[in-house]
Amino acid sequence: MEHQLEAMLLDARTALLDADNEVDLQSIRVQYLGKKGRLTAIMKEMGKLTADERPIIGAVANKVKDELASVFEQQLQALKQQHLTKRMEQERIDVTLPGRHQKVGTKHPITLITEELVEIFSFLGFSVAQGPEVEEDFYNFEALNLPKDHPARDMQDTFYITDNEVLRTHTSPVQIRSMLQHQPPLRIIAPGTVYRRDSDITHSPMFHQIEGFMVDEHITFGDLKGVLTAFITECFGKNVGVRFRPSFFPFTEPSAEVDIQCVICGGKGCRVCQNSGWLEILGSGMIDPEVFASVNYSSEKYSGFAFGMGLERIAMLKYGVNDLRLFFENDVRFLRQFCV
Amino acid sequence: MIVTHKWLKEFVDFDLTAQQLSHQLTMAGLEVDFMQEVGAGLDSVVVARLDSVEPHPQADRLTKCQVFNGVEVIPVVCGATNHKTGDLVALAQVGTVLPDGLKIKKSKIRGEESRGMLCSVTELGLDDEADGILILPSGLEPGTPVFEALDLKDVRYEIGLTPNRADCLSILGIAREVAAFTHRPLNLPACPAFAPTGVDINALTSVNIETPDGCPRYMARLVRGVKVGSSPQWLVRRLEAVGMRSINNIVDVTNYVLMELGHPLHAFDFNRLAGKRIIVRKATDASSFTTLDGQVHELCSDDVVVCDAEKPIALAGVMGGENSEVMDDTVDILLESAYFDPRSIRRTSKKTGIHSEASHRFERGADIDMVPLALDRAAEMMQQICGATVLDKAIDVYPYPIQKRVISINRNRTNALLGLELSLEQIEQLLTSISLCPQHTDADTLEVTVPAARHDLEREVDLMEEVARLNGYDNIPVTMPVSQMVAAIDTRQIDFVRDLRNVVVAQGMREIINYSFESTLVCDRLCLNADDYRRRHVALINPLTEEQSVMRTSLVPAMLDTLARNLAYKSSDLSLFELRPVFIPGESAQPDERMKLCFTLSGLRERQGWAHADAEVDFYDLKGVAEIIFERFGIRSPVFVPDSPEPYLHPGKSCSVYCGGRNAVKIGALGELHPLVLEHYSIGQPVYIAELDVEMLYAHSEKTQTFKPISKFPDSYRDSAFLVKEDITAQQMLEVINKVKVKYLEDVILFDMYAGKGIPEGMKSLALRMRYRSADKTLADEEINAMHAKIVKALQQNLGAEIR
Repeated sequence: MEHQLEAMLLDARTALLDADNEVDLQSIRVQYLGKKGRLTAIMKEMGKLTADERPIIGAVANKVKDELASVFEQQLQALKQQHLTKRMEQERIDVTLPGRHQKVGTKHPITLITEELVEIFSFLGFSVAQGPEVEEDFYNFEALNLPKDHPARDMQDTFYITDNEVLRTHTSPVQIRSMLQHQPPLRIIAPGTVYRRDSDITHSPMFHQIEGFMVDEHITFGDLKGVLTAFITECFGKNVGVRFRPSFFPFTEPSAEVDIQCVICGGKGCRVCQNSGWLEILGSGMIDPEVFASVNYSSEKYSGFAFGMGLERIAMLKYGVNDLRLFFENDVRFLRQFCV
Repeated sequence: MIVTHKWLKEFVDFDLTAQQLSHQLTMAGLEVDFMQEVGAGLDSVVVARLDSVEPHPQADRLTKCQVFNGVEVIPVVCGATNHKTGDLVALAQVGTVLPDGLKIKKSKIRGEESRGMLCSVTELGLDDEADGILILPSGLEPGTPVFEALDLKDVRYEIGLTPNRADCLSILGIAREVAAFTHRPLNLPACPAFAPTGVDINALTSVNIETPDGCPRYMARLVRGVKVGSSPQWLVRRLEAVGMRSINNIVDVTNYVLMELGHPLHAFDFNRLAGKRIIVRKATDASSFTTLDGQVHELCSDDVVVCDAEKPIALAGVMGGENSEVMDDTVDILLESAYFDPRSIRRTSKKTGIHSEASHRFERGADIDMVPLALDRAAEMMQQICGATVLDKAIDVYPYPIQKRVISINRNRTNALLGLELSLEQIEQLLTSISLCPQHTDADTLEVTVPAARHDLEREVDLMEEVARLNGYDNIPVTMPVSQMVAAIDTRQIDFVRDLRNVVVAQGMREIINYSFESTLVCDRLCLNADDYRRRHVALINPLTEEQSVMRTSLVPAMLDTLARNLAYKSSDLSLFELRPVFIPGESAQPDERMKLCFTLSGLRERQGWAHADAEVDFYDLKGVAEIIFERFGIRSPVFVPDSPEPYLHPGKSCSVYCGGRNAVKIGALGELHPLVLEHYSIGQPVYIAELDVEMLYAHSEKTQTFKPISKFPDSYRDSAFLVKEDITAQQMLEVINKVKVKYLEDVILFDMYAGKGIPEGMKSLALRMRYRSADKTLADEEINAMHAKIVKALQQNLGAEIR
């Protein structure tokens, strides 16, 4: 009987190892190890054995059974692995085909630059304010120390709605409105649309500015330099040179024009910076006492600084846009390039 | 304002390179816009002698010259006609690169060898216009570089002056600044002394000011026996260098003094003056006057005129008259040096449209104390250059001498504003360096007397600016403000607009920005009714063009222009939006600036790709964008009412949108563009467009959100298809279902709509999936069936819906 078992083990092992699919493997297992299988058949003969032989043969039978189960398991795993490998091979796709996209929208570059600047100034503690685009003379000119016969008020330069109303020529009226509405300390940033009566390659009758100002006790020109330098570092990078040079605006005294080192040539001189190595990016200054007087702030008690810059210009520098008109043509081939 | 290095050096002995000077001027607030080194790199342009000039054998317009360049005689072909044998000319030798970029090469011109070029002043970068080639004065050594021989090497600085710095509209003015920042003395030209002639000016003429407001000071000298002619080369070159053209020696002298000292002068032909005297008065209303440029101007009593005994002879401080102009045969000159009121000059200049060098300075404020020096300096030059005699004495009518301004400046206030720690002595030194006269009053204060030229210095803060400027903005330490906590202002509405933009962008829309102006004609293109509120515009008094003459009342027209333009560029799949205000005239003068959101879809729904079939957008894509906006901003139960009254929309494929429940307000309209409007904009494909009122959205936006517990129990659903009349809307179905108020109905999805084959004419099939769920138990089939039956019954009863 021992021989019988060993012969069966040999047959079964060969059969199991020869099986090339799971179904065959299962049926071979049943054939040998099932209820009606060969092992069971052999075991039925156990009764004919002597009491001495029985435990010996029983041990052999168990060993055969265990071994076959192990061979089966081994072969099963091998077949599964084979099958999986084959499936994986069959299921290849072309991963170089483009993926499926949700439709992606874009913000206008002027919006992008506005949001970037507003964010930087938010970090510096400034809040956003807005004002109307059709503005009264008082806010746009008078309160900003631009008296009645000032050239900036000329019909040549300013769009008039009535004698007393204009399309605001700058975002500075928001300064006046904010100061009339609130008491210091104030830190305000005011992006917005402005209008000037000018239209050619480098001038658009409508464009955008961002105005900012801060009023408190003991604000100095050094603070103006500090805040604007911090802004420029954030906006244009740590290594860009900054310079403040004297200038003139009716609503600030002293006034400063702020230049950054040319971002195109790095200060060596090129066409964009007209070989000067510097790019003018914003106007600023300490708020003029006349302006404080027109909003009933005491210039003995308070001081402050204000600044303003053209957003199209900043966008042109940052994005390398070479034609102002592109901003208002709304060609999607232009718009789709701004997706950050 | 243009200045040159050499001319400045006559006033200050500074030691700076062109680059350094340019930088320092800019940092002193005198921004150098442009710098040109005259003659730089032109050493190979040399003085040459024409040994022979012959006609070119092959070309009538050319000459063949033999030119001695100091070393050898070389052939040069020349196209000019103003040269002859023996002339000294400027020869650009082979290898020279001229200022306009032209490189001189050895060449053959019509078969004749040419080894250089004879240059004009334009080609040398000396002047914009030229009359033939430059003929050099005799006596120069051939072979010497031309710029060296003529002493023309110089640097021109074009300075963009800010409007407050009228005092810098002269070489002297700029030199004063240079002297200040180089710490060198300023050398003023000496007041000339004239040899007595025995003839006193007062014996021959007189000056009478009838309008001391318009003309506070008027000085005159008589210059006799002038020979009007061309100016010497040095004078011509110097005027050219600062951008002026030589006219004749008399005019050139007045212009020279104008550029040098900044004070405008005028020369009258004395013998053409009626009564041989000067009266300064207001013009007569409606009189006319011919200026020396030949233009006729109508004058009024606002204009100040300089007159002789009978008539105006000059528009004071603006331009002289034809009737008293210096001519070739002029012999005696009355030289005017006066000071006119800036406001009056500005008015006259603006009205007449004359913007002259004189008016430019007078309207910004000239220096009343410069009147005598300018007069004498010009008289002296006329004596030297025009062979004239200057008669004894000058007339000086100055009825009310102007008091010099005195301003005090406090050291502590100055330091506090600037963030500096200057001593009073430092401040004093800085102010003295630009000819201000400070005097100590106490330990912290100076009383500063301001020269008449500095019209811009009126207040303490103006002096503080000078202190900052002269000390150098670079030397102000960078600090960060120490400030109290600022109570943030309310920015919720601003934030809402920003969030709204983000949501729309997330729907795949591209933002555009159009001009706020439009033409009134766009209302017709949109087919708006005659009484539509959008036809009432905020109009500009002075528009640039008819197309931009009014403020827009809707974002739709410009959006359609943008669509049409992009379609023309073959970009045909468009999802665009604009988020900007429109301008609605209101009760008050200030219009209502209402923020609107306009968005539009046209073309393919998705970009073409391998993974999906192309499909065109339709009304429901547009509505989907609106619905997501409403959902995102908590606009509760918006109502889409069919048949929008918007005339620019297709009536059957559009709707108005309301929100706000019982007191519903209209927040906009959306739909397919009307075919007629498509035609007006020459758009050849369907367009879906919406315009919503953002302020209304904001007002109805609800921020509060309440959490509903998530049920632990399973859901069950029932699908039913209903046969209804074609005109029954989905919204009607949903309203009926809602009214039944089934407790466990979780949601309803309309998952199919069908009409056509198998469905009776005039009917359609709507398939609904109703999902039931309880928060606290598993619903039994019987319960669900009962609820569902109630809904089906309600639909049958109310809308005649039959289960299919």
